Amino acid sequence: MANIACFVEKYNFTDPRETAALEKFKTAAERLQHKFNFMFRESLSEIPKYDAVFIRATTDPLYTAYVVSKTAWELGLKVVDDPKSIQICGNKIHLYELFQKHGVSHIPTIFLYKDELHHKKVLEIFRTFGRPIVMKAPYTSFSKYVEKVACETSFRDVAKRFFRKSDVLVVQKFMPTAFDWRVGVLNGEVLYVCKYMVPKGRWKHGAKRKGKPSFVWGRTVTLKRENAPAKLKETALKACSIIGSGLYGVDIKETNGDYVVVEVNDNPSIYAGYEDFRDRDIYDKVITYLVN
Amino acid sequence: MLVVSNIDLTINLPIVTPSKFLESSIKDFTLNINNDYRYLKTGYYVSLHAEVLGNRVIPSSQDVIDAYKTPILLLRASKAEIPTMPYLVTGSVKHIMLEFGFPVVIFPVNPFSYEGFRIAGNRSALYRAIKSLSMNYKFTVCAQPLKGEMFTCKSIFGRTSFGGNIQWLSEKVYDLFKIPICKLHIQRLKSEVYLCGIEPAKKEEIIREDLKEISQAILRFSGDGENLVG
Repeated sequence: MANIACFVEKYNFTDPRETAALEKFKTAAERLQHKFNFMFRESLSEIPKYDAVFIRATTDPLYTAYVVSKTAWELGLKVVDDPKSIQICGNKIHLYELFQKHGVSHIPTIFLYKDELHHKKVLEIFRTFGRPIVMKAPYTSFSKYVEKVACETSFRDVAKRFFRKSDVLVVQKFMPTAFDWRVGVLNGEVLYVCKYMVPKGRWKHGAKRKGKPSFVWGRTVTLKRENAPAKLKETALKACSIIGSGLYGVDIKETNGDYVVVEVNDNPSIYAGYEDFRDRDIYDKVITYLVN
Repeated sequence: MLVVSNIDLTINLPIVTPSKFLESSIKDFTLNINNDYRYLKTGYYVSLHAEVLGNRVIPSSQDVIDAYKTPILLLRASKAEIPTMPYLVTGSVKHIMLEFGFPVVIFPVNPFSYEGFRIAGNRSALYRAIKSLSMNYKFTVCAQPLKGEMFTCKSIFGRTSFGGNIQWLSEKVYDLFKIPICKLHIQRLKSEVYLCGIEPAKKEEIIREDLKEISQAILRFSGDGENLVG
């Protein structure tokens, strides 16, 4: 019997679909004869008491979740997400550098350095990728800090905003599609497959409502993993193989029968009735991975 | 050996600027000299780029992330037998009071604050410190008991302008994290010293003597680089 800590923050319980998924993880662990406790930021000193740590709070090398991951890892515990995966997936520059090195098919990408923000460079980028282009801050997650720009003025505005925190940005070709594939991968195997649909009139799965702080999200269409295209699954597994053997959510675009990786996310969203809709065993699989 | 530096050095060796290196694919042992290695900053990306190219690099991107994250710094330091104080990662005043009492020293654990610490000698000072360093309770802080006095010094390749146990501590920290330029926050208690935190140095804080020290270190690496890479 293993003792599992699930590191969460209060916001993990604001969406009932996520709360239900967390309860399903707990139920799965207990059914498999393991202890499963939610661990909040006030209880981090208890990490050594556990055998494994499962992180569900947002990960980033600058957040408390990284402290949890690295502490658990240094103490020899099994941890999802592990610190190396957080370091790579939490920074899109790191991720795309690895994609380029290992020949993972991905959206055409260049990096923009802080001292390159000048007229000639902006024109060169528009000439290379056409207009609009997509600009991403390296720390993007949940569709935030990803913006489409079509003119030099907005290019400069967005770049200046993103450069406040990072000295390098990602610039990509704009590839509009009706949906992005999301392939959940655990330990080098496909866990679930879904389509994250783009809401009508938008260009990404999660888009901010005009003048409001809230987001509008597209539908999620889930497939049984054995029914998903083999080439899609192969692309997802190749992308994950250069990062590690943890839990990942791979975003992939399909264009003319080809699959190109948008990004690999550690700490992928798992909402009850969505990612688990066709493959109900994902909770058992994650728990089994944590304790083995 | 490839030296990448954002600082004007006084040595007669080829130096590559960070922006030039980031656009290159030069494969060689890389010595990354920068006053600021913080995550998402140019100094970090230089180490990262060198690693992706397959180069051995000082400092490593992993060590940089860990060193600037106070709880991880302290955890790894204590594992390496570098003296540290007990610490607590929390956002709760009550928790800190119960664990350590007063006075305590508080370091930020958030994506935006990277310099300094606050000392709290009573409950209201602790509330203020936590509210400020946790960015209105959005993030956690790292608390350590304050038993002596806080002291900050520059460390250039592990060398400081102080002798004795401060120099010893600085060398131990450099051996572990290999951060060429940084400032160490140390707690002095009679004849004992404890590592409390690390922060980047400001460019204007690097004086002529430091440039000499950096240049000498580079020459040591170029003379016997292979053996010096940990």
